[in-house]
Amino acid sequence: MANYKLFDKRIFAILPVMQSYQLKYLTGKRLQTFLAVADRIIPPDADSPGGGTLQTAGVVDWALDKMPDDLRKKILLFIIVIELLGVFFGGKPFSKNSDAAKDRQLRWLESNPIRLFRMGFFGVKTYICMGYYTREDVWNTFDYDGPVVRERPYVDAMIREMCQGKVEVLA
Amino acid sequence: MKLEYDILIIGSGAGGGTVASRLIPLAQAGARIAILEAGAHYDKSFFTQREIEMLDIFKDRGAWPVADGSITVSTGKAVGGSTLMYTGVTFRLPDDVCEDWGVDGITPQDLNPRFDRLLQEVNAIEPDEATFENDNNRLFREGCEKLGFPVDKLLINIKDCEQMGFCNLGCAKGHKQGTLEVQIPLAQKGGIEIIPNCAVDRIAKGKVFATINAAPKGSLPGKLAEGNYEFSVKKIILAGGTAGTPAILMRSGFQKELPAIGKYITLHPALVVCGIYPTKIKNYKGFPKLYFTQAFSKTHHHYLETAFYYPFIQTKHTGLWGADLKYAMKHYNNMMDILILAHDEALPENKIMLDKNGEPQLHYKLTQKNIESLCHAQVQCARIFFAAGCEEAIVPSAKKALFKKSEIEDKYLEEFISTKYFVPNKTPVASAHLQGGCRMGNDAQTSVTNAWGQVHGHDWLHIADGSLFPKSSHVNPYLTIMALAERVAEDVKKSL
Repeated sequence: MANYKLFDKRIFAILPVMQSYQLKYLTGKRLQTFLAVADRIIPPDADSPGGGTLQTAGVVDWALDKMPDDLRKKILLFIIVIELLGVFFGGKPFSKNSDAAKDRQLRWLESNPIRLFRMGFFGVKTYICMGYYTREDVWNTFDYDGPVVRERPYVDAMIREMCQGKVEVLA
Repeated sequence: MKLEYDILIIGSGAGGGTVASRLIPLAQAGARIAILEAGAHYDKSFFTQREIEMLDIFKDRGAWPVADGSITVSTGKAVGGSTLMYTGVTFRLPDDVCEDWGVDGITPQDLNPRFDRLLQEVNAIEPDEATFENDNNRLFREGCEKLGFPVDKLLINIKDCEQMGFCNLGCAKGHKQGTLEVQIPLAQKGGIEIIPNCAVDRIAKGKVFATINAAPKGSLPGKLAEGNYEFSVKKIILAGGTAGTPAILMRSGFQKELPAIGKYITLHPALVVCGIYPTKIKNYKGFPKLYFTQAFSKTHHHYLETAFYYPFIQTKHTGLWGADLKYAMKHYNNMMDILILAHDEALPENKIMLDKNGEPQLHYKLTQKNIESLCHAQVQCARIFFAAGCEEAIVPSAKKALFKKSEIEDKYLEEFISTKYFVPNKTPVASAHLQGGCRMGNDAQTSVTNAWGQVHGHDWLHIADGSLFPKSSHVNPYLTIMALAERVAEDVKKSL
């Protein structure tokens, strides 16, 4: 299991925490599943954190809040489906399985003959990538300079600061 | 609340903005004209070049998939419509495509003089290589030239472009000459009102029923307060695009007399594929689009255009995850991108329907021919990447999506990248060129409007947007939409 909590603490040790964000949708067991999936979609390595961090969850949760209700419900439901199906791949719920079993399950979902499984995987993967690759605190890990009009303010300071790693995300 | 107008234009994109600008003389002569736009009115100062923040300008925040989820559709929802987030790629409707449309009166002879005028109006230029050719564009040109593929320059509608590279997130300097910057301000100066955040529910002869929603933070407020409105009006011009216009007509009960409403949708199914160059080329710097090749348009039904995208969207296009995705994104600055646009057929089963909330839902299935076309294009892109000097490629319909040049000989590429590896809902097909749904024609059973955009049997109702296309335009559609909108304005002026 990736050490996402440790990574978050390191971030907050060096950045002044200006405000906090309470997760609304990615909570409880669903959060554990989300973090476990995100860490396989974007695994940590020596140079950069994985996707399974509260910072990524915070950005995704913020985006979920603004998406159409029916689509949000489908994404949230599919996260539970992933957790439950874990027993067929490693004998335990997804978040408790080994990395190899998790990857086997995700590959099965990605190419499944049943369209709904492929759709669900594609949707969850897309949101995880959004939550991770829009974070300015990971841009330097792949040398992305970001916007030219970098200082231009946005109307929702929360998401700007969350993407900059300046917001403490509360589970 | 009740309000009276002479003409209401519903939508403010390439069609709505153009028709409004052409009706200025009527407004100046005293006609009361307004544009009702479902989205917000953002000024250029709103555009921050950050992907997650700019989801505001897309319909459903960029998450509007077709009903079976196999294609993600991007379309604008703000004043300016999809001209807000296009790259400004400007094509005339090819003469042979125009003739294939087979609509009486829609001819190259009619459209070409309009295109000439519009190209001036939107400042469509052929950017010069010395100033505009970044590495992404250069490598595409060099790769195509080595392979003997003809390369053409794209026309782009820009003025004083600073080449910041974030065109698809709205131009932060207002240099892209979309309707937000050109036709809408002209129309406003000419006395035409713009009413943002105004969602039209339904229409009837002489009536428009709409709701004005709260203006989102950061947008320009309209003059009207939130609430339900009943507009009395003499003429209605629908310009809500393929997503919006058929839905309004369906909610208003027109489908029984005009069964073609919502049908014959085309999408230009698109894939973005990447090459990985051995050294850093930072392709998000500079203007993303300069060249295209139509080498395979006639034989394999696709265009290839230069393109480049921001990190999150790039991850979506690769279709990768796990260590492969991490590896690919570590080479983000080494990537070159090619956008594949397939020419799809207009089929009645590809259609807009209403969901349980009365909102448009797009039902669309790729045909085997489309899939073959997309796979053929991916093979050619891999060849371009390797000819340009890339050592790796990311091609979603390959046996192994991320592969090295050294792993596969050219003669085996067509086996390695093929339809058997194209998996709907896994292969990341996208679309930004919605067309059709209210096609022009003569027969009210198979079309919705005549060649002037007038809805069959209703002289008070016109359509002026991409939904008019009877078949795919094969090319980026905005200039054709503008030319058709100009015709609509002429017809409206004649009939008032």
